[in-house]
Amino acid sequence: MKSGETMEAVAVKPTTGAITARRSYESSLSARGEPFLWGLGGALGFGVLLVVGFLVLVFWNGITTFWPKPIEVVTLLSGELVAGEPTRREAFKVGPERLASLPEAAKARIIADDHIARRVLLRTGNFDLYNDDYRWIEDYKIEKVETPSNLFFIERQEWGAFVGRIKSLSKDGAVISGDELTYAFLSSEQQEARQRFRAIKAIEKGEIGEVNFELNQERLKIRKAVLQHGEGAPETKRVEAEVEQAALAMKVRFEALALKSQEIKSQDSKILVTLADITGTEKVTPLSQIVRFYPANDLSLLDKVGIYLSRWSEFLTDDPREANTEGGVLPAIFGTFVMTLLMVVVVAPFGVVTALYLREYAKQGRLVSIVRISVNNLAGVPSIVYGVFGLGFFAYILGGSIDALFYPERLPNPTFGTGGLLWSALTLALLTVPVVIVATEEALAAVPKSMREGSLACGASKWQTIKNIVLPRAMPGIMTGLILAMARGAGEVAPLMLVGVVKLAPELPVDGFWPFVHLERSFMHLGFHIFDVGFQSRNSEAGKPMVFVTTLLLIALIALMNASAVIIRNRLKRKFMVGHF
Amino acid sequence: MNAPPSSKPKAGPILPLKRDKSTKTLVLLTDKIADWTITIGGLFVILAVAGIMIFLVQVVVPLFTGAELKSRTEFTLPPASAPSLAHQIDEFHTVLAEIGSDGAVKLSHVGTGKSLGGLDPLFDQPATAYGASFDGEEMIFGFADGTVRFARLRLSSLILPESELPEGLTQLNDRDMTDGKIVYSKVSGHQIRKTSFSFSADEPQAVAPPGIGVVDIDYRVGGTDERPVKAFVIRDTEGVVHLNLAETRTNMMTQKTTTDVTEVSLPGLPQGFVTASLLVNDRGDQVYVAGTDGTVYRYDARSIQSPVLAETFDLVSGQAKLTGLSYLIGEQSLVVTDDQGSVDVFFRLPAIETGGSDNFTLVKTHSLEKQKAAIVALVPSQRNKMFLSADKDGHLWLRHSTSEQTLLKLSLPEGSAPLAGLTMAPRADGVLAITEDRKAILWRFDAPHPETTFNSLFSKVWYEGYEAPSYTWQSSSGTDSFEPKLSLIPLVFGTLKATVYSLLFAVPIALMGAIYTSEFVHFKVRAVVKPGMEMMASLPSVVLGFIAALVMAPLVETWLAAVFLGFVMVPLCLLIAAYLWQLVPGPVVRRLGGVAKFLFIFVVLGIGFQMSFLLSGPFEALFFAGDMKLWANGTLGSDVPFLTLIVWPLSFFLVELALSRLEEAGILRLMPQGHDLKAGLLSFLRWGAVVMASGLLAWVMAGLLTSLGVEARGGVVDTYVQRNTLVVGFAMGFAVIPLIYTLAEDALNAVPEHLRAASLACGATPWQTSISVILPAAVSGVFAAVMVGMGRAVGETMIVVMAAGNTALIDWNIFNGLRALSANIAVELPEAVKDDTLYRVLFLAALTLFAMTFLVNTMAEIIRQRFRKKSVAL
Repeated sequence: MKSGETMEAVAVKPTTGAITARRSYESSLSARGEPFLWGLGGALGFGVLLVVGFLVLVFWNGITTFWPKPIEVVTLLSGELVAGEPTRREAFKVGPERLASLPEAAKARIIADDHIARRVLLRTGNFDLYNDDYRWIEDYKIEKVETPSNLFFIERQEWGAFVGRIKSLSKDGAVISGDELTYAFLSSEQQEARQRFRAIKAIEKGEIGEVNFELNQERLKIRKAVLQHGEGAPETKRVEAEVEQAALAMKVRFEALALKSQEIKSQDSKILVTLADITGTEKVTPLSQIVRFYPANDLSLLDKVGIYLSRWSEFLTDDPREANTEGGVLPAIFGTFVMTLLMVVVVAPFGVVTALYLREYAKQGRLVSIVRISVNNLAGVPSIVYGVFGLGFFAYILGGSIDALFYPERLPNPTFGTGGLLWSALTLALLTVPVVIVATEEALAAVPKSMREGSLACGASKWQTIKNIVLPRAMPGIMTGLILAMARGAGEVAPLMLVGVVKLAPELPVDGFWPFVHLERSFMHLGFHIFDVGFQSRNSEAGKPMVFVTTLLLIALIALMNASAVIIRNRLKRKFMVGHF
Repeated sequence: MNAPPSSKPKAGPILPLKRDKSTKTLVLLTDKIADWTITIGGLFVILAVAGIMIFLVQVVVPLFTGAELKSRTEFTLPPASAPSLAHQIDEFHTVLAEIGSDGAVKLSHVGTGKSLGGLDPLFDQPATAYGASFDGEEMIFGFADGTVRFARLRLSSLILPESELPEGLTQLNDRDMTDGKIVYSKVSGHQIRKTSFSFSADEPQAVAPPGIGVVDIDYRVGGTDERPVKAFVIRDTEGVVHLNLAETRTNMMTQKTTTDVTEVSLPGLPQGFVTASLLVNDRGDQVYVAGTDGTVYRYDARSIQSPVLAETFDLVSGQAKLTGLSYLIGEQSLVVTDDQGSVDVFFRLPAIETGGSDNFTLVKTHSLEKQKAAIVALVPSQRNKMFLSADKDGHLWLRHSTSEQTLLKLSLPEGSAPLAGLTMAPRADGVLAITEDRKAILWRFDAPHPETTFNSLFSKVWYEGYEAPSYTWQSSSGTDSFEPKLSLIPLVFGTLKATVYSLLFAVPIALMGAIYTSEFVHFKVRAVVKPGMEMMASLPSVVLGFIAALVMAPLVETWLAAVFLGFVMVPLCLLIAAYLWQLVPGPVVRRLGGVAKFLFIFVVLGIGFQMSFLLSGPFEALFFAGDMKLWANGTLGSDVPFLTLIVWPLSFFLVELALSRLEEAGILRLMPQGHDLKAGLLSFLRWGAVVMASGLLAWVMAGLLTSLGVEARGGVVDTYVQRNTLVVGFAMGFAVIPLIYTLAEDALNAVPEHLRAASLACGATPWQTSISVILPAAVSGVFAAVMVGMGRAVGETMIVVMAAGNTALIDWNIFNGLRALSANIAVELPEAVKDDTLYRVLFLAALTLFAMTFLVNTMAEIIRQRFRKKSVAL
């Protein structure tokens, strides 16, 4: 029943005759099957609720993570002071043992409330002081809750967030505190400090990294020469001399850079800020270590939007810090993107060529139908199996051979002989090739035979027909297949865990050193980032907000791909629909 | 479309006189090239796909091949002055060291037999007994005057650059050179290996009264490097067995070493007992004294002052004579050989009631393939649980204890002299046999995976220290002598368990949802719901895993009773709503039947959830003694309420059946009668009554079952852990619901419209049409959808890695974790060493997974094709 009319059976009026009437009543109500219908509808409704609930959960958590929240200062009944961002509130069941240990008033209230109490999860930060980032506060322990002004939420380069007050700033020996220490002044000082921090990083990672890289290349030259000519051979000696010369020059460069960075560092170390938590415990840290800070309870809406946006921009454009639980995910976005692109470059020609072969060239018979079944079947093979194959064949056998042939000087350190970008892309290409084949075949089958025959009758060759008639018309289907393959590839994590994804890649797979695209490097991936931060970090609670945002990003990316598949299909369809006669 | 290039109109005659009708070569050429490229490319991809399978198989095959003989070298050794007691070869099969009973060390080159010197006789009298530690480096010699001497022999290798090769060496073979004493071997990378030896012996120590000699001896060195413990047992000529324990301590401050020697004779041995073998472990607290008749006296010497005879045990069957007794590596397994050729392995296992005085007893755990003649020599490997047994006829069998397989069968040439010495290379890759006429044979072999056979991977295996054969997966541990336990059964079970529970959750929801979407829902709703569900199918599973493990698992743990109640409450609410809906007058039903009804369903679902949440406290108190987790552990509460819940649907069905029979027979009149409202009301009341009655019946039945000994806990419901199958079932169900739903909906939708129309025209209601016309027509397609969903669930990785707890157990407990094949591969393969046993076993796991999904998918494909044919026929 495709149409829109709704089918609702209703009990019909009884006809005369006692026995027939009874039958008819009985059958009419049970024939309606109302309880069953509600069961079916309930199942569908439940399924829809699951999906919607899931999306809402991810979307809401992802979207609100970066919104600055106020800092609550909670005074406990015991007199203890706790300050933190409330992140989550929930009801929970109070066990009998815990209930017994409570004071009478609280006990009575909880019992009256069906043994349910409420609690709030405060992000207290200050991991270096408390050894914990989060703390549950039960409502029966609370005496009062306040949101005093002048409390700062401070994001640091290391140790996570700090919640507390800024006591003083010591600049070149002079201590600034009290009223002089305005937010504007602190902000401008912090901006400067961050600039210095970035300058140091640029020198240490960028320029010194460059020197180290070149130095390493030179050292490898010696190894290569030794392997080629043997130790002590005249050629080796010559290479050694050359390398020594180059190394000397590099050392000079290195020392100059080191001096420069040292200079900035010493300047940096003179500007210190003294922080104090809510109980007054002080902590001195270089100002440049502070990534962002704001008076959480004194923010206007505009300030909040500003912080929110700046956090998003950091997330999208920066490197991760704090074991991936904070900072950005740029390397992961980049890795996912490059890997998926590379995968498409591999999978597109092979998938299309295979489909062309199966549909246009191979003799349709038993063999082709078996091949078709197995291709369909392969679409259902678990992704981890492809990962196993990728590791065993691509990385160890192919990569091992490449190493032995082209990079003997780097052995036993593997170059291609371990997981990497290329092998990941190839593995995923293998994984997604059935998707492309099936989609392309369907698209080819949809091109009317008459068009092919018309072209051939006009004297075009087979290839000309395929190139000019068949492929353009099948293009929407092929594109859809490719984009769906991309969507599948981008979301796949399990095989990548075996063939080259790492939790923290020191270098991007694309950079300024020749040959610019480093196919052998391992890389970061959004999906693996979710796994890693959610499961391998010191505190899964601390990583959770980040995981939600990354999840949102990944889902958005995949939804975008799926949506664009639909749009491209529709647009190309329209284009070729016009051409029909 | 490209027109022929010469189509530009030119000035000239209107009708060209001559026109080139042949196709351009370029066109032909491109056509040919395209032809070839596409054919080759297409075949290549198809081959690549087949290649995956072939590659996996090729990696896995070595697991089952046993050992491979690589070479066999025969050579003659220089004559010896005295019979040699000990033989040792180095790791690279370069040098053989023999120690004679006169204390002379003779070195010869392995391969050529050329003498490499050695040391002159050291002892002034011939040794009467010899014992050595497990690696053969620490030795002890016993003499007829009741003294013993400790000695150490070490063959060591050193890698040097080629430039340090001394001058004037004699070539031995194409690898080795010698200066007469030290052997230099060429190794890859322009390097050489220098093999040399060292030997030292301590002064004689008296351990028996003068005049009484030492007949038999066994020796172990244990303890730490700072506090070595030397344990040795001797049997003297009087037949008395002594246990000696020498503990050497080094004072940290003064660097002085003191040695405490404890000597005690073992009690309880009968007069005239003839020992065949003595055995002591490296802590010196277990001693075995075995007689030739197979009786072993096992001593518990944990208190060295007073060793206790723990038990006597007959190791060989019948009249057979014991010929060899040896530990395997780890000193847990005992290998016993006899003169009938049988080779058995015994474990010392705890047995509280039946065991010896230390509550342990020996148990025969492995019976290995029998040899034809008496076993004369037994050599354990220093690497793993392999050992070599040689029989009187010169057959040498390489075996593995745990897997019970014979890896390699070697034999001495026909008519050679009896075996005089047998030794296995330290890396367990070579065997050297020496016959009494000074002929030697070196077999080099490769046994990379001796512990795996088809049985060891898929059947129960009796591992060392286990009380019974078991399916166990435990691939790594801290200690060296640890034996990896690689049974794939727990993993396959884990995969199946996850699949079953997730399908139990997913299949009803997906199929019922699909039927409702295809048959009952408004087309506007369908246009939103269907694509939405399809989109969910491409959701990355890592996201689901994360939500399951970090959001759902704690939630389910806190609200376990509410979740459980939800399974009851939500359907109950839906049913009540359905009966209430029957009360609504016809015209209203017709007007609200479409979107509005679907929205009502959501409201009812919401009420159901809220009710489960609110009533979870009383529910828990009523059914699970107030705490469901404790109840599941079995610590409190009774099984009756829960069993009632389980048997309720059954009893409902029974009551309903009985009622309809009674009504049929005209005994009862409960069927609804009258107009719409009255009929609806009656049917509601009837249903309510049946629910009550069946509940009562269920309670009685549960009580009966409990008194019959049926338990609700211990099977499917048991101890609760946070990462459990319930959560995995939810998450994985969520992953497969969209897939099953979409495919099943497609199949239902593909049923031709005329069937539907015909059925409705005959007066069937939509419900009757869908259940007795549409569903039977589409059933194979629906079944295929379930199969595809199952295939996906079997191979799903990230969800099980993250949410399943990864404990390799075999139980159906829904509150416990599991370890699936896929998760196991993802977790362990990155750490596995290439070509290692674990690496190959993980490939086998992948192959198993591949086979499982291939089976399921092929079945689905075949069913689908049949369905297609059938629906064409309709």
